Amino acid sequence: MIRNILKKIAEIVLILVILSFFVFLLLYIAPGDPAEKRLTSQGVAITKQVLDAERERLGLLKPFLVRYGEWLLSVIRGDFGISFKDDMPVAPKLYKGLLNTFFLAFTSLSVSLIVSFILGVSSALRKDSMLDHAVRIYSFIANSLPNFLISVLLMYFFCIKLNIFPVIASGNIQGLVMPVLCLSIPMTGRFIRQIRTEVLNQMNEDYVMGMKCRGVKKHYIALNIIRNSLGHIFTIVAIQIGTLMGGSVVIEAIFRWPGIGKLVMDSISARDYPVIMGFVLIMGTIYIVVNTLSDMLDKVLDPRIEKD
Amino acid sequence: MSETILKIQDISLAYEECPVVTNLSLDVKRGELLCIVGESGSGKSTLLRAVCGDELVKVTAGSIIYEACDIVGMKEAERQKLKGTRIGYIQQNPYGAFNPLRTIEAQFRETLKSHGKTFRRTDLREIFGILELNNSDEILKSRPYELSGGMNQRIAIAASFILRPELLLCDEITSALDVTTAAAVMEELFKLKSENGTTIVLVTHNIGQASNIADRIAIMYQGKIVEFGESEKVLMHPEHEYTKKLLRDVPRL
Amino acid sequence: MKKRISRKKVIKIKLVIMVVLALSVVFLTLFAGVIAKNDPYQTCATSIRTAPCVDYPFGTDNLGRCIFARVLYGGRTTIAATFALVFISFAIGTVIGMVCGYFGGIIDRILMRLADITLGFPQMVVAIAVAGILGGGIKSAMIALGITMWVSFARLARSHTFSIRSAAFVQTARFAGKNDAYIIMVHVFPNLLAPVLTNALTQIGTTMIGLSGLSFLGLGVIPPAAEWGSMISEARAYIQIAPWAVIYPSVATIITIIIFNYLGDVIMDYREVR
Repeated sequence: MIRNILKKIAEIVLILVILSFFVFLLLYIAPGDPAEKRLTSQGVAITKQVLDAERERLGLLKPFLVRYGEWLLSVIRGDFGISFKDDMPVAPKLYKGLLNTFFLAFTSLSVSLIVSFILGVSSALRKDSMLDHAVRIYSFIANSLPNFLISVLLMYFFCIKLNIFPVIASGNIQGLVMPVLCLSIPMTGRFIRQIRTEVLNQMNEDYVMGMKCRGVKKHYIALNIIRNSLGHIFTIVAIQIGTLMGGSVVIEAIFRWPGIGKLVMDSISARDYPVIMGFVLIMGTIYIVVNTLSDMLDKVLDPRIEKD
Repeated sequence: MSETILKIQDISLAYEECPVVTNLSLDVKRGELLCIVGESGSGKSTLLRAVCGDELVKVTAGSIIYEACDIVGMKEAERQKLKGTRIGYIQQNPYGAFNPLRTIEAQFRETLKSHGKTFRRTDLREIFGILELNNSDEILKSRPYELSGGMNQRIAIAASFILRPELLLCDEITSALDVTTAAAVMEELFKLKSENGTTIVLVTHNIGQASNIADRIAIMYQGKIVEFGESEKVLMHPEHEYTKKLLRDVPRL
Repeated sequence: MKKRISRKKVIKIKLVIMVVLALSVVFLTLFAGVIAKNDPYQTCATSIRTAPCVDYPFGTDNLGRCIFARVLYGGRTTIAATFALVFISFAIGTVIGMVCGYFGGIIDRILMRLADITLGFPQMVVAIAVAGILGGGIKSAMIALGITMWVSFARLARSHTFSIRSAAFVQTARFAGKNDAYIIMVHVFPNLLAPVLTNALTQIGTTMIGLSGLSFLGLGVIPPAAEWGSMISEARAYIQIAPWAVIYPSVATIITIIIFNYLGDVIMDYREVR
């Protein structure tokens, strides 16, 4: 058991190292010069001399592998290096952004899971009813809506036509409603569809027939079906975490939500490499860890997987 | 041995809009063991499923009269009341009776609660004993996927008998088991039947198995009953070509 | 039997309708020049933010440009870029998948490991980071999305190649002395085309969402080029004064994505019942 966990951790670390290396390489060969961006933003007149001095100071003149090595060391130290933009340490910036993003993403995930679970399960249990048709149409359309579009349409209706919510989110509960809706609507579209399919699959299992013929009450049968669907539902959620992360970057940029997505968008335009690298590493870690955990949870909920 | 418990009259059945059984009539007498023998695809399983009330099987014509009551036109809720306590059903897949991921005990509790009965270990131990399930405490704690096919089928039989049904429908219940286990399970089933006076309709493709235990035998071929009568008569003096062929194909020991 | 046939028929009818709809969207944008009277790039100081009227069926934007024309031309950009990207990912992914599945060994292990790593990272996050780093432009947006897109094609092609490779007719061809390239082209490729092509169709909607999302963030097409995402993003600033400048490109985006997503679903159903 412990050996397996260690092996898994080693695998995750290896993937992250390779991933970060590729991103570092991409940043290295990509156009754009952080030193130039910084000087421009400070309003300094750019001469060759000033530029070279700035490059020297930011450590951009060192060989590629040395720079990558130094960055890895900064990760091991836990400070993620110093921002190119304002010379502040990167770790606290990432931490603060991450907290805000977590708040947004977690709320959206919970809301969409609760809604999707109720709608997905009930539409599967009442297959081909009016409810089922309505839910299926909703989930299809919701899945086809890009979240940036939802943001624009919601802004138009709620902020301008009805004047209920503020246009720009400020981290309070009211400001949370619109970003959460934008992230949740497409997500419910996917969740409902997958949960419905999974529950329908379970309903076709032989044990359901067996229970029906023993005259077991309907609500017991439904509970058994739901219990057996849970493993798959967790996997579905884990897979959607990636989409959620991408979506939150877009939504944060639109609503100026001070999360890690907005931070990275700002950092990309400023070519603030240490922040970009930190972002990549954190997002990669979260995604891989969540998926690994969901695999493990799957085995707990359905011990048959271990046997195969 | 003469009262009719189940009367099937001129019934036609369709499975997924595909006609399987046409114009079939059959009667089951209280307390007897009736075997329906036929090859796969002959419609024998569909017939059982129609009696037990599977929604996938459509009754396109005819009636199924159970205890003087036509159950074809019956409301869903009324029908539900018959399931388990009046008409039991055991399917072919030994892993099909129970949710594979939950403990046997939890599922017995649910089954009994659904019929307003309470779960008592002593009741269960008795039935388990007849079925050669000796360490009942351990079995109750396990989950179906951890147990063998034979064990699962025995537990499924126990779950049916604990509800004391009047009529028990058994659909190829031993075909997924090895020969020795199958023989033992059949023997135990027979014992339970004699003790409880349960009427059993057993569907099988194995006429040899039927010959050992059946009171009466019905031979089914392409959705119709081609021969029906006392088992001795059917086995010794077969009239239909198909029955003769079936009997010829029985391996002699 | 009757029900199965009727379901098949329903799906066939749906399929025809969806193909017609999808083709009409493509043709509408292809013949944008014929359909729209106005030049999508012609600014006009006297008709800024005009509400929809006879001359401008969808109104005009902040610079007095005809939104109807811009929606049509913008659709051309989005749809062409989407098709190109899906096709390129399809081609690259299928070749990689076939090579991995057919030859196996070390190449297979390395490439599939790479695929795992790529899959281990959310597509839109990668796309935003890469597009941002490469700088704007439709090409970098396509590269940014393409980095993760080939994987699903490669995996699918690989698993199908695996099963085709051990089929009797491939073994026969091999004994007949046909070389690997011939077997891949003549036996493997035609047999995996249908499932992989279906995957390509289902990717169209997602790719469109991704591309217009990047443009919306300013990481896709560079203005003044017309593109739905960037049009919506631009017009968002004056949505109170000229809601039509947002509504029409939004509706166009939604309808197009729904059509292609539904087409993908129907084709999957069709393959299932056939």
